[in-house]
Amino acid sequence: MSIVRRARPLLGTLIEIRVEGMQRNLASSAIDIAFAEIAQIHRLMSFHEPGSDLSRLHRARTGAWVSVDARTREVLAYALRVARESNGCFDPTVAAEQVASGYLPQPHSPFVPDSNASWRDIELNDDGVRLCKPLWIDLGGIAKGYAVDRAVEILLETGAPQTCVNAGGDLRIAGPRAECVHVRDASGAIAAAVELGDAAIASSTSVPAHATAAHRDGENKQPIEGGVTASVIAANCMTADALTKVVLARGAASARTLAAFGAQARVHDLRSGRDTFGVAA
Amino acid sequence: MHARWLIPIGVGAAQAAHVAHATQYMTVEQAQRAAFPQATTFEMTRADLHASALDAPAGWSPRIWQARNGNQLLGWFFADAVIGKSEAIDYALALDANGSVIALEVLQYRESHGSEVRLAPWRKQFVGKTIRDPVALNQDIKNISGATLSCRHLTEGVQRLLKLHAHALLTAPA
Repeated sequence: MSIVRRARPLLGTLIEIRVEGMQRNLASSAIDIAFAEIAQIHRLMSFHEPGSDLSRLHRARTGAWVSVDARTREVLAYALRVARESNGCFDPTVAAEQVASGYLPQPHSPFVPDSNASWRDIELNDDGVRLCKPLWIDLGGIAKGYAVDRAVEILLETGAPQTCVNAGGDLRIAGPRAECVHVRDASGAIAAAVELGDAAIASSTSVPAHATAAHRDGENKQPIEGGVTASVIAANCMTADALTKVVLARGAASARTLAAFGAQARVHDLRSGRDTFGVAA
Repeated sequence: MHARWLIPIGVGAAQAAHVAHATQYMTVEQAQRAAFPQATTFEMTRADLHASALDAPAGWSPRIWQARNGNQLLGWFFADAVIGKSEAIDYALALDANGSVIALEVLQYRESHGSEVRLAPWRKQFVGKTIRDPVALNQDIKNISGATLSCRHLTEGVQRLLKLHAHALLTAPA
């Protein structure tokens, strides 16, 4: 029995997988399968890869049903739920603004997105998706968390007793032992620590106004500014990943959304050095 | 789900700690075995292509092996390093005989944020304040949540090795 740690560059970041308490070669093959799943999720949900489900959607005629992988559908359904619970603060259709600002590349798409389009214009049925207005979807704010969850599920299914999957800072811990997680502030320094057991944490940092904004408030489409780091703890990483954007944009006003998902948050402001805890109800 | 912040609530901001974080994931030998389990030999080889032709940084010198099973060429194995603004990554790239990627593994990751302060003093500020279980903080840093790391340098490094392979290795007599 040993500790096996591996890392690969996927989803635009470094993914680290650690498995403890399993025979080394079994752990290694389980980790291989988990990495393969993450790579597959990347291919399905990439904004710019021409073969991804999102690219196929963006090439399709507006209003036409497009069949997508069950995993893409699951993430889209969850994204719409977070959008609904946050009154549109989390909105996967801010991609058009992200392309205009240069944060995302220009997709292969025959149409120009409707500036009035929002998450409400995405419809799902049992195996497909359709866009009721011309719009572009970016799952960058949620797919990484989903990939972490899928990897953890695969590792648990293969019998890993204790595991941690960390996708560039969005991570989930599973197993009987609680572990310590250190949280960086916007400068990269470690500013806090939290003990986590069978839980996920994700952190997002808002960038200075002059830089290319990574996060946008879905309601007013404005970039989220400042040296603020929001960390969200939730039962799974997809929830934590998506909710960091809501907490960054709304601060204490995100309490109701957090409560709807059983999540809690910590907000750290680099300029004032202040910590706000328990933004959750 | 269990979660407990190890910082006092409402007692004021804790001093941040700049720490150097390093992790060894695999050795070169482990990565070679994992990528080419059927190989009988790994023969070190050279590529005659100047670094400047590949836009490589000064001092770029990847190590290259041919993976063989007897006389049969199975593929190539590269061990290389990239250095970013705050991190250095040693990584391995394995290509099959046709040049398709078999594996890309990080061997070692090291980071620093300039002013490196040991973690110990940072921990001390919590002793006797809030930590009911100091063991949790005495572990080596394993898990860090925060600003997403960019893999841009690593991606560029892989592109460079693929070019090196296409220009200097693929056509070389095996």
